[in-house]
Amino acid sequence: MEKPATMTASAHRHRTAAPRVGIGWRHPHYAALLEQQPALDFIEVHSENFFAPGGAALAVLREGRKHYAVSLHGVGLSLGSAAGIDPWHLDQLARLVQTIEPVRVSDHASFARGEGRHANDLLPVPLTHAALEVMCANVQRVQDRLRRPIAVENLSAYVQWRHADMDEPDFLNTLARRTGCQLLVDVNNVYVNALNAQLRGATDDPLVDARRWLAAVQAQHVAELHLAGHAHAGDIVIDDHGSRVCDAVWSLHAHAVRCFGAVPTLIEWDTGVPPLDVLLDEAQRARAVIGGDPAAMEPAA
Amino acid sequence: MSFQARTSLAAQQTALLQALFAGPGAAVTPPLMAELADANHPQTVRGLAAYRRNGHAAAERALRAAYPVIAALIGDENFDPLARELWHHHPPLRGDLAQWGDALPAFLQQHAQLADTPYLGDVARAEWALHRAGSAADATPDLPSFARLAQEDPRGLGLTLAPGTAVIASRHPVASLVTAHLYGVPDLNEAARRLRAGCAEQTVVWRQGLRPRLGPIGPHAATLLTALLNGADLPTALDAACETPAPETFDFGAWLTQAVTEGLVLGVRDRPVQHRPQPIPAPETAA
Repeated sequence: MEKPATMTASAHRHRTAAPRVGIGWRHPHYAALLEQQPALDFIEVHSENFFAPGGAALAVLREGRKHYAVSLHGVGLSLGSAAGIDPWHLDQLARLVQTIEPVRVSDHASFARGEGRHANDLLPVPLTHAALEVMCANVQRVQDRLRRPIAVENLSAYVQWRHADMDEPDFLNTLARRTGCQLLVDVNNVYVNALNAQLRGATDDPLVDARRWLAAVQAQHVAELHLAGHAHAGDIVIDDHGSRVCDAVWSLHAHAVRCFGAVPTLIEWDTGVPPLDVLLDEAQRARAVIGGDPAAMEPAA
Repeated sequence: MSFQARTSLAAQQTALLQALFAGPGAAVTPPLMAELADANHPQTVRGLAAYRRNGHAAAERALRAAYPVIAALIGDENFDPLARELWHHHPPLRGDLAQWGDALPAFLQQHAQLADTPYLGDVARAEWALHRAGSAADATPDLPSFARLAQEDPRGLGLTLAPGTAVIASRHPVASLVTAHLYGVPDLNEAARRLRAGCAEQTVVWRQGLRPRLGPIGPHAATLLTALLNGADLPTALDAACETPAPETFDFGAWLTQAVTEGLVLGVRDRPVQHRPQPIPAPETAA
């Protein structure tokens, strides 16, 4: 079995504290969360949904911020774009960060913009030295503007670039080391990529591959974990955030906690958002996994 | 990093973006095929289709959020293909989809298949203004400032208008069509009757507190607001309003009382302020 990546003593001390668990706060739950105020350590929102300088959405987020720490998770910075960071986007994010004072700011190791267009999706970058250089420069630009480190998330990729100079953990570790950024490890994305590799015939055991991927990430960089559901669609698996976390991903979550310590963990659900209680139930299970409860790792009945 | 390496990365990214924004059924281009691993593998084909589907779903969701009345008027079965068509013809410039969709009014007016519904473009203009008003910067009323109207020379004074204030002139009953669908007033039959009768309406959009609002506005008030939005001071705007041909005379005092009550006018300012939203500058195409 692979050996977990080394974690520094200080990082481990910070991460043996109480589990910190949050949920993605989406429109269907705006009112319910504010009314019920369930016990959560943080809530996460998509930054772009609150870029407006005023209006109801921002007012709701301000209200949420009164009760919870907020993790601002972006989907549109396009950190891997050779066209660079859109200064307008960065301006809006900087204003939002100043307004909300989030506990974390994050986006993805992806690109979406080029030639004046923005695909509004999380498109993979080649794992090359050139792409790493571009992403380092873009991350640095964002951090310089925000005056704080951001966390960069691994993604589910549905196409693979032909040429690669390194593997994905190496790419992310180097990015973090060079820029001082943090890493946001989406455990479901790791598993989805491994499942798709299996469907392409590139691996026999996706769970082993995913564990190896997690073990290769340097623990001191990891600031947050993401958990979500995915969908099987024949010869491809899609990271649709539309179902409960599957048992394999729960087991990988436990493995990630062993690798990285009690890193804050988020439950994401963006498609067919269920009642709030379902998300809170998933959050409770994440809390139990982080706390080392063996029952939480058991397959669901 | 060498210029060549960055250019190569840019070319890879451009090839993928072109494949995603190419029209439905477009084949994967040779430059992209050359860059992708397993380019002919069914999963790669499905993967590209998944990205295209994501884009289409985002387009449908974003456009429906901004244009619920257009969606109701043409039906979901037509609206979703329209959103996808707009996505390909006018792709987003920004990574915030709330900013995307401003091209729809002109797109509707030029759309050959919609030539028999010429009012759609103006309805879309009103809906886009309403959409933008919902996210405009907050502002609070300054009621004490109204005393200045009685105490000072009005030359050089202007009115502070609510966030997102806009006036939409049209040859069609745009306000009735929008409010009938959004608020049920007038009812749909009455809105349809006004459309058949060729009623022209001017529409005002503003935000009262956090609530975007829209309604019909008389010719005097429309001229007054338009002049104020264009930067005129109050006497100049009033002169223009009073010169507007209309059956009734303009009672500015009564209009102002109602406008303040409904949050359309927030206060009196020292000098006119340009309220018209500034166009968003084009994004950088290179770092």
